[in-house]
Amino acid sequence: MNNKFKIIGFGFIAGILSGLLGVGGGIILVPLMVTYLGITQHIAHGTSLAVIVPTALAGSLVYGFNGNVNLIPALNLAVGSIVGASLGARWMKKIPAKQLKQLFGVFLVLVGIRMIIS
Amino acid sequence: MTIIVITLLAGTAAGILSGLLGVGGGLILIPIMIFLLGMSQHAAQGISLLVIIPTAMAGIWQLHKAKLVNYNLALYLACGSIIGALISASFVQYIPAERLKLIFGIFVIIMGIRTILGTTKPK
Repeated sequence: MNNKFKIIGFGFIAGILSGLLGVGGGIILVPLMVTYLGITQHIAHGTSLAVIVPTALAGSLVYGFNGNVNLIPALNLAVGSIVGASLGARWMKKIPAKQLKQLFGVFLVLVGIRMIIS
Repeated sequence: MTIIVITLLAGTAAGILSGLLGVGGGLILIPIMIFLLGMSQHAAQGISLLVIIPTAMAGIWQLHKAKLVNYNLALYLACGSIIGALISASFVQYIPAERLKLIFGIFVIIMGIRTILGTTKPK
């Protein structure tokens, strides 16, 4: 039970980040799942994507109500990103856990530096 | 024409990252929209959230078949994250975004280093 509150709390933190920066929240969700919930790297990535969908939906509804959502560029970007995501996910399944972890770690450091600088 | 090519390539890059790393891809999409497509920060964030939805769904489609999605865990995480996203998206103008970004940035770097170091430790 205690664990469920912890998990909801993790989700809440990711949601705050998502709505605030317009991102999915995966950069917070994946390390929290792996470090504190003992989820394997591969499953953490897949589960993160499943959390991102409703989170981004909630955030974009609010942005939409405030008139900050522009459909045309979103559709254009989505054409590429849907293809890209399918390729990326297929590729991810073939990468061993250790390399995937290292790749994700490097990505986190780069993203973190960018967040601090900008 | 150039804009269409940039948009397609940007989307593809964000998508590959998304499927590979289990993220939304917004961290790549937003700077591209601002610097290459000349959008405002706010407009870019709104579009980013919208692009993330079908992108993550495409990734799930691939990973679901390999049983790499823990839906039970996702449900609880989503309970919290939907509330968090609704709050922060509603009050984004009033939230000290710069300070929060700094805190998140430091947290992300620490987690990144931990993740890298974690792979070199013998079990």
